[in-house]
Amino acid sequence: MKIKAYIEQLFPADPAIRYRWRLLCVKAGFVGLFLIVMGRLIMIQGLNASKYREAARKQYEARVVLPAVRGSIYDRDGNILASTSTFVSFTADPQIASDDERFIASQFSLCTGKPEQEYLQKLKTDLRFVYLEKHVRPDLAAKIPLSKMAGVVKMNDPVRMHHYDEFASQIIGATNSQNAGVSGVEREFDPVLRGTDGFVIMQKDGLGRKRPSTDYPRQEPINGHSVYLTIDFTYQSIAEEELKKGIQQTKAEAGIVVMLKPSTGEVLAMANYPTTNLNDIGNADALKNRTIGDMFEPGSVFKIVTASAALSANVVSLSTHFYAEMGRYHVTFADGRSRTISDTHGMGDVTFADAMAHSSNIVMAKVSNLIGADRLYTQARNFGFGISTGIELPGEISGELKKPAEWSGATLNSMAYGYEVGVTPLQIVSAYGAIANNGILMKPYILRNETDAAGTIVREGTPQMIRRVIPEDVARQVKSMLVGVVDHGTGKGAALKGTTIAGKTGTSRKYVNGGYENGVYNASFVGFFPAEDPEVAILVIIEHPAMEYYTGAMASVPVFRAIAERIINNNGALTRTMVAERSGSIVLPDVRTLAAKNAASMLETIGMTVHIVGNGTVVRHQSPDPGNALAAGSIVELITTEDATMAHLVPDLRGMSARRAVNTLGSEHLIAVLIGSGCVVSQTPEPGVPVRAGEKIVMHCEPNQISTAQLY
Amino acid sequence: MGKKRNHIDPLTFIVVIVLMGVSTFIVYSASSAWALQNLKSESGLVNKHIVKVLIGLVVLFIGIGVDYHKYKDYTKAVLIGAIILLVVTKVFGGETKGAVRWLSIGGFSFQPSEFAKFALLFHLSTLLSTKKEKLNDLKKGFLPLLMWVGAVSVLVLAQPNFSMGGIIFMLGMLMMFIGGARIKHLAYSMLALVPTLLVYMLTAAYRRQRVLAYFGFGDNPEGLQKAKYQLWQGIIGFGNGGIFGVGMGQSKQRDLFLPESYGDFIFSIVGEEYGLIGTIIFMTVFLLILLRGLRIAKHAPDDLGKFLALSITVSIVTYALGNAMVTLGLVPTTGLPMPFVSYGGSAIIFSAFAVGVLLNISSQTEMNPRLAPIEPAPVPAVKPQPSVGKVF
Repeated sequence: MKIKAYIEQLFPADPAIRYRWRLLCVKAGFVGLFLIVMGRLIMIQGLNASKYREAARKQYEARVVLPAVRGSIYDRDGNILASTSTFVSFTADPQIASDDERFIASQFSLCTGKPEQEYLQKLKTDLRFVYLEKHVRPDLAAKIPLSKMAGVVKMNDPVRMHHYDEFASQIIGATNSQNAGVSGVEREFDPVLRGTDGFVIMQKDGLGRKRPSTDYPRQEPINGHSVYLTIDFTYQSIAEEELKKGIQQTKAEAGIVVMLKPSTGEVLAMANYPTTNLNDIGNADALKNRTIGDMFEPGSVFKIVTASAALSANVVSLSTHFYAEMGRYHVTFADGRSRTISDTHGMGDVTFADAMAHSSNIVMAKVSNLIGADRLYTQARNFGFGISTGIELPGEISGELKKPAEWSGATLNSMAYGYEVGVTPLQIVSAYGAIANNGILMKPYILRNETDAAGTIVREGTPQMIRRVIPEDVARQVKSMLVGVVDHGTGKGAALKGTTIAGKTGTSRKYVNGGYENGVYNASFVGFFPAEDPEVAILVIIEHPAMEYYTGAMASVPVFRAIAERIINNNGALTRTMVAERSGSIVLPDVRTLAAKNAASMLETIGMTVHIVGNGTVVRHQSPDPGNALAAGSIVELITTEDATMAHLVPDLRGMSARRAVNTLGSEHLIAVLIGSGCVVSQTPEPGVPVRAGEKIVMHCEPNQISTAQLY
Repeated sequence: MGKKRNHIDPLTFIVVIVLMGVSTFIVYSASSAWALQNLKSESGLVNKHIVKVLIGLVVLFIGIGVDYHKYKDYTKAVLIGAIILLVVTKVFGGETKGAVRWLSIGGFSFQPSEFAKFALLFHLSTLLSTKKEKLNDLKKGFLPLLMWVGAVSVLVLAQPNFSMGGIIFMLGMLMMFIGGARIKHLAYSMLALVPTLLVYMLTAAYRRQRVLAYFGFGDNPEGLQKAKYQLWQGIIGFGNGGIFGVGMGQSKQRDLFLPESYGDFIFSIVGEEYGLIGTIIFMTVFLLILLRGLRIAKHAPDDLGKFLALSITVSIVTYALGNAMVTLGLVPTTGLPMPFVSYGGSAIIFSAFAVGVLLNISSQTEMNPRLAPIEPAPVPAVKPQPSVGKVF
């Protein structure tokens, strides 16, 4: 009724009333629209404002990543092995760039010296993305007039530099194109090496142009930590060189050398052959660290387990006599099956010690019957076989040590001379380390320490005892047996004048595709010296040598001997040159403790850009660290301090190996002058005399006897 | 003018002057980035705007000063002139975005449609005041009026300027509705318009797409993407302002995110810089203009004044509401300026003149009476007190 009345009033006869009603309608309509608009405003600006604010923020801000510098990798003495340099890459969209391809090609040709044709070729393609040039040094890249080139884009390109090409490739490991570690130390320590990228928020306008904003926080990148390995540059180099030599001489396919320090478990070297150049990886398979990732049937080198078990159980002594069956021993097992065990050199009546020296399988088999399955198994387990060592490297396998319950009738005898068991090279050398270390097994480790970007040590690798494997007197007895092996047994070839070497030869088979390779033998020798107070344990495996070098004695012993000789005589003359020196980068000198002004001008003359942090007069710290190879124009940050105590006390270098002395002086910013070679016998100035950084220390060296010299 | 004059309506006057003044700040902020990019000077656009504001102020005072009755005899001639101008523009005019809308006379370009709109509204007011009694009659009252409305609308539509033509037609209809035309006649006229508009709409691809897209149909042509983007950026501007706004001159949307941030979408910049508080005040100002305008119409001394006041008020408020609704995404995107505030052609000048006329009407009402001199105060040597003689 009401509605009808209203409608009627829209058509009133009286014009005055009609006018008033219609005007009211118009007024109400407008006011209604105002209310709708205001409601909408309240919705957008009040209730849903946060949603639009977020959308606004997103389009105003551009997050630009400030990449963290990946930490460096050093050897135990601070020799730099891997570091990061920022290079530049140029990419192009040929569809756009083809308009002035001649200009682009000529400019790039001027910059790199390559023919123009090469760049023209790259631009003649249907692709929308090509790399014109990768890894260009920043100073050269700056010469490219990018603003005049449509379709060419410059990208920062952090390049991981491996300073010694194929050196320790399997330990150091490779990085991928995103600069993330994919193998070795690069992968294992990737989380700490990588650092944390920072960012800066740029303001953007509608055309996408950016400008830095002071309103937004800037998150500085946290540069990656550096890692110092227990690896010794000299030892690793020697190991690699001698391994390669040995493999070539014996026409072998491959080989492995592992060196560790028995008293601590520090890994000093891990050499794999074949290897590959980390700066130009040709053979990715060669990146596998086979010292921890390959399983071998160890053969005779495993006899220390049998000997340790037998001596610990008191079932034999070194002088216990056995009949060695003149080299052929027919055995019938409880299940009725039988087999013949044979020795390479047939012998008659021998002592247990001689059986070891001449590597008699027959005697070991007989001894294993006295030990029994459980005790032999436990002994092997205690030496660390069948369990991964836990070294800080990726890809370690645990090997294979069957429990007695899974053994067949032949297993006890077979295992006594190293068959039916799977071990890694590192496990072998670690077990020999336990003998050398008076029966205490140390955990092998490779991280000496980790330092943050400012050089402060944040983590230190420390020796870790795993367990006492055998009593000390048993260790001594086994050691004497191993000395016998080198003195008058199968390992005679390893003997060196002036040093007592303990060791054991072996012939092993490699585990491949679910079984051990038949007829393919690997010659191994593992030993340590000086026997009285072992400093280093070394395992050499030469894989698949030519038939005439079939046994460990023939293929591995000479390699072991060559390595030992060079270590002992400190003949560290290495043929390697640093990659950095070849590729035009500049190796950063150490300017720490220098006056800031001098340091800056020194760095500037070699083409660095210097940023001085702090108001001090003396450089306390420099970033990147000395020894890093940088492209010309790179920024070097010098952190200064007021502390002017620049005086150093000359360290006591006497008794140190020449190389160690040089490294020690280097870390004290002193300059070494060597006279002679070998070990330091005297020095001027005397230890304890205050000197300034950069002063020369003269050292007289003489070749030394290993028994008296300290390797470390 | 021998007639006795009272004060003009102070509220309307203040509000419009303030709007025109504030518009210079807003246009400066909203246009600086665009002007820097395109004119190499941050103030390149606002300078032109200031010139127009100043001309606007002049014509505002002219409007206030001239007795509105004087227009009565000229509205027909002026409207015919405007129609001729529209035709001339169609033939000789300059193009904006594919439509012929501008006419340049002696280096000064203006939009004849804007002029035609006010000419039509003035003439309608004259006709409504004289033919009021006959408006019920189709042939004698309604059709002559519709003819004028139709002529102007069709010519503007033919520019082509869909939104302006449509709005002129709607304003004409609205005025006839208020004036007392029969609902039946109005309804038929509207019905006749629908097929015309449909044909018109569908003949131009970009209009079809815009309309279809608004209702969620159709493909996404580039022009539509741009319109959608502009609307989205406009709404981001409002939202980013929140309740209190980001502060005067702090707009980020104007940094080339929001196209035409200084023109049709300037209300979004107001929302961004001054927040919900600013936009509500802004809308309240136009609501105030509506209420004051209607009040002036109510108190107008005669029908001419009444209809002039109504048409001027309704026209300005329709533009303000239409612009706000476009920028807020309540209706499809069309080109409507925010009265007095948007940078743009001649609209501000015509609007200022119209408000001047409105204020002149207000001065002839009894709304703000001058204080009658209390008897012949015999102090001839002294001039009247300034407070008495002031405009308001």
